[in-house]
Amino acid sequence: MPRYVMVIDQSRCVGCMACVVACKRENDIALDHYRTRVVEMVKGEFPRLRTEMRSELCNHCASPPCVNICPTGASHKEEDGTVQINRHKCVGCKACITACPYDVRYINEEHGYADKCSFCQHRLKEGKEPACVATCIGRSRMFGDFDDPNSLVSKVLRENSWRVLKPEVGTKPNVYYINQFPRKS
Amino acid sequence: MELNIVGANAITYPAMHVWDWRVAIYLFLGGLSGGLMTMSAINYLRPKKNFDSSCSWQITLLAPILLSIGLFFLNLDLERKLNAFWFYLAFKPVSPMSWGAWIVLFIYPLMILYALAALPKEVKAGIKNRSLRNASDAMQPHLLKLAKANVIAGILLAIYTGILLSTLVARPLWNSAILPVLFLTSGMSAGAAVMIIVAKTKETKLFFTKVDIWLIVAELIVLLLFFYGHYVGDAAHRQAIMPFFSSSHEFFPYFLSIVVLGVCLPLAIVLKFLEVTGEHTEELTTSGLLLMNASAVLVLIGGAVIRFAVVYAGQLSGYGGYM
Amino acid sequence: MAFSRRNFLKYAAMSAGGTLIADAPFFSARARAEAEGGNVRYVPTSCEMCFWKCGAIAKVEKDKDGKDVVVKLEGNPLHPQSMGRLCARGQAGIGQLYDPDRLKRPMIRTGKRGDGKYKEVSWDEALTYTADKLKEIIAKNGPESVSMMSHGSPGDYFTNLVKALGSGNIAFASFAQCKGIRDAAWELTFGHKPGSSCERVDLKNSRVIVLLGTHLGENMHNSQTQEFAEAVGNGAKIICVDPRYSTAASKASLWLPIKPGTDTALLLTWINIIISEELHDKAYVEQYTIGFEQLKEAVKQYTPEWCAKETDLPEADIVEAARDLGRYAPHVVIHPGRHAAWYGNDAQRSRAMAILNAILGAWGREGGMWLPANGKFASFNDGYPKYPDPAKPPVIKGDYPFAGGEGLTQVLRDTIITGKPYPIKALFVCGTDMLKALPAPDLTRKAIDNLDLMIAVDIMPSETAMMADVILPECTYLERHDGLFKVEARQAGVGIRQPAIEPLHETKPAWWIASELCKKMGLTEYAVKDSWEARMKRQAAAWGVKYEDVADKGYVTIPGSEKPYITADNQPEFKTTSGKIELFSADLEKHSFDPVPKYEPTEGPEQGMYRLLYGRSPVHTFSRTINDQWLWEIQPENEVWLNKKEAEALGLKDRQLVKLENQDKVTVGPVRVKVTERIRRDCVYMVHGFGHNSPRLKRAHQRGVDDQQLITRYKVDPITGGTGMRVNFVKIIKEA
Repeated sequence: MPRYVMVIDQSRCVGCMACVVACKRENDIALDHYRTRVVEMVKGEFPRLRTEMRSELCNHCASPPCVNICPTGASHKEEDGTVQINRHKCVGCKACITACPYDVRYINEEHGYADKCSFCQHRLKEGKEPACVATCIGRSRMFGDFDDPNSLVSKVLRENSWRVLKPEVGTKPNVYYINQFPRKS
Repeated sequence: MELNIVGANAITYPAMHVWDWRVAIYLFLGGLSGGLMTMSAINYLRPKKNFDSSCSWQITLLAPILLSIGLFFLNLDLERKLNAFWFYLAFKPVSPMSWGAWIVLFIYPLMILYALAALPKEVKAGIKNRSLRNASDAMQPHLLKLAKANVIAGILLAIYTGILLSTLVARPLWNSAILPVLFLTSGMSAGAAVMIIVAKTKETKLFFTKVDIWLIVAELIVLLLFFYGHYVGDAAHRQAIMPFFSSSHEFFPYFLSIVVLGVCLPLAIVLKFLEVTGEHTEELTTSGLLLMNASAVLVLIGGAVIRFAVVYAGQLSGYGGYM
Repeated sequence: MAFSRRNFLKYAAMSAGGTLIADAPFFSARARAEAEGGNVRYVPTSCEMCFWKCGAIAKVEKDKDGKDVVVKLEGNPLHPQSMGRLCARGQAGIGQLYDPDRLKRPMIRTGKRGDGKYKEVSWDEALTYTADKLKEIIAKNGPESVSMMSHGSPGDYFTNLVKALGSGNIAFASFAQCKGIRDAAWELTFGHKPGSSCERVDLKNSRVIVLLGTHLGENMHNSQTQEFAEAVGNGAKIICVDPRYSTAASKASLWLPIKPGTDTALLLTWINIIISEELHDKAYVEQYTIGFEQLKEAVKQYTPEWCAKETDLPEADIVEAARDLGRYAPHVVIHPGRHAAWYGNDAQRSRAMAILNAILGAWGREGGMWLPANGKFASFNDGYPKYPDPAKPPVIKGDYPFAGGEGLTQVLRDTIITGKPYPIKALFVCGTDMLKALPAPDLTRKAIDNLDLMIAVDIMPSETAMMADVILPECTYLERHDGLFKVEARQAGVGIRQPAIEPLHETKPAWWIASELCKKMGLTEYAVKDSWEARMKRQAAAWGVKYEDVADKGYVTIPGSEKPYITADNQPEFKTTSGKIELFSADLEKHSFDPVPKYEPTEGPEQGMYRLLYGRSPVHTFSRTINDQWLWEIQPENEVWLNKKEAEALGLKDRQLVKLENQDKVTVGPVRVKVTERIRRDCVYMVHGFGHNSPRLKRAHQRGVDDQQLITRYKVDPITGGTGMRVNFVKIIKEA
């Protein structure tokens, strides 16, 4: 089985929001709800400024607190390393939303179930990348099988120093970040 | 820093507001119900002088009623109420939520059997339903065993309400092993307070007043340890208790909750101490009764405030954030 | 389709190269639909959420009633403008298609102009009414009194109509309000525009990229932004000249927060440094340029020390940037920019940018600018007869010797107002909200008042459209054929726009509307013979490409057309008077303009006022996408950027509501202020296109403010006639 991971090269994110809209269209997400977001953090004083661009989504953690807290098994870990939600089993208790250190879950208000990024599981089954990756203008988002030594992501993770978000929570995320800032040459 | 986020969900940003008063009430009533189970059982189990039977049998009924009200509020919070049966189609050993669902399932029969066993003869005579009377008769011999079981079950129930929150690693305010103990002491103390209010005899009232003094002292110590534990913890834990000690107007409710706790609980202790040490006539005077009930109400207020403050403030706490 | 490991490997390897589909080495609508089976169709087309014409693929499914529904848009991996990716706007094309506020039926005005009262009529009634009115006007004032203003694809079809009627009064906002100035300046220098489908900048191979008036990331030109990110990833040195810390500036090695209006000083100083330190490409200058000595002489006066004072930039940074350009030449590029209508002396600034590229040898060099693709397209007009010569010469070029064929909208507007040299009484407004596109919207209103007939061809009920006498609702790009497009990227190719679904409501493609009007006007020989698709097939044949291929793949390349860099057998051709790159322009001298660019200072703001700068958002195309649900959701309104220190002085907090008042006492607002370190203290900035006044645009209505209302003044570039719009100043008024 593959182990799907995403690698995000922050220096290449141009903040165009193509990922945000692509995700919403691909997964038919209601108004004012999102499965992925783009965070822009600007620090410093004019004219000495520095920007971090960071797109965030479900980290599909190896040790997912949302899955641990779920009372019914609706949130579960799949063999391919992704964390998925079985909507039929969800009672809408929202414990998973409070359990997630990355604040990536929300309630589908029409049906009441908890929802979040699925790494576009339906697309993966068709051999396509997640919608956000497929349309990423800066090619900031990369996706693939970590266990495959020839995959782009495993190569990138071998050759770069990387970090994950909030490692201190111990969730072992599967979304990796490289190049927090553009290189200054 | 200038922060710009596109694609945040209102439920988590700028502040998480997932659980609200409904969950706080559930946690309070759950804890209170557990406290009542334990306290009413202790009432049976303690060496009897002037046994106040009317007080205990009513309490045994009150516990499941309060728990049911609490669960009603919890159910109000569920987004897919019709799906609640899934709780019982799965047992997830690592999920405290799942444990909670099953604990409730075992506690209810215990509560009901106990209540049946505790029915006094004169009340039973008034019951028209025969099978209920028969059930009560059948349970009566097991009253003491059931009472012992209720002591344990009540403690479990009160602890559980804190465990639910304490396992949420993403919310540092909740993520503390002290929290279940805090909820336990608070629940027990509230249970004792209700015993004081509903008890008929002076002796029972004074007994639970003494019990409550120790429970409140314990609660205050645990509360201090709770904050201390966060204060000496990592940055996220330290940050998590900040709202309670902030003078900023946006955190005023949390600051107020500390003030209320800081006044209510010690005041209750003082009042209770006065009651216990004071001279009492054979029958309590109206003012003595009022004072006792007032201190009990203070304890209940304190218990509710703790639940509300912890439920709301916990959602403000988190790791990292945007820095 | 099983997702096998083998497929995954293949796909992973491709994802690095940008291919979307795992199993198909290239896109084919037919193959993909067959592979997926069921009810899915894929329609390759060209996006029109902006004008980049990205290759897009519409995924069409049947809903439960069996009706076709566009469910997703993706980039076409074959198409060089999208390279398999679509930006937020491209993804949100569905929002425009299914926007409930769209113009749905032809309408004729019943109330007063601008009060929004219309009756819905049949197409025949609307077209007959229009034709009758046009005939009346022509009978009274002659055919030249019919005119058109346009931005976007419907303009092409109405150009045909207006020219067939015998008028040349056609103007596109893309010239005077946008890139026309730049194009004219580059034609004077290189004999070429800096690009047609896209600027021919070789960003992905560049070592140093200078962005001056370019905001890649916010200015979401798809393929170019992709290459920009590539350059950032490659570690190219990005030098960003911008009074505002833009997204591009945040990626830059060197951000130069220049004092607005002094860009030409910086450019000329760089030229001076490069020449005096002999960092220019001497052989290249020798071989391909003329006028180097005059240039050298003319720029001597622009010293770094002087420049630092003038531009308010550190001298060391100015020099460092010039030396970096010299060190890495010719693999460097000064991006030509796009919207160049700033200060009224913009052609000379664009010339300076062109000249800087020239002396660095960037034109035709790797990492500089690639050479125009060598694609030969036979001319094709489907056998239309020649247009009649206008009896009276068109007014659209004004007195500006280098105004382009796209025409000057503001001159057409002035003519409508004054009636001089002759009256213009009918105006087609095609796909543009003129009130938001042209400076001094009061003049636009005045011109509209002077018209006997105004016809709007549009998709959305913009404020301008809702002032028209007749509204002819066009369908969106997902519902129509629009033609085969020449795509001139590194290689030449042919793209296509074809409908994903049938037109919704009572909307029609612009070609059909224009063609039917031709017929009603008795100009049958200029009408579309059969269908636009049939015409496209004939066009494909004329161009020598297989129509079926283009329709199936969405894009085909002209083989062998890619000749990007100068080699011994690939020499550049400069279509200037001298046949060389004209550092010194005799043509300009002939018309008494400076043959080598000179720096002219620009008037600055008075005390308490800020220069009004405007720009773009990556999720909107001007004012036309604001009502799109998916984009509106992300950015429903604009805000006014104000330097933090200035905000402190004014006692303003972030997100506080303010009003803006310009030098002519025009006030807009309320609008939220963005208190930021990201902008200089002497200017404020907002994204253009917001503050819609049309109540029919329910989401966009009065969200944010319209910068154009504050642009009551403009300064015309004497060379090209471009309207410099950054010459307005505002003060900030606290909301009570």
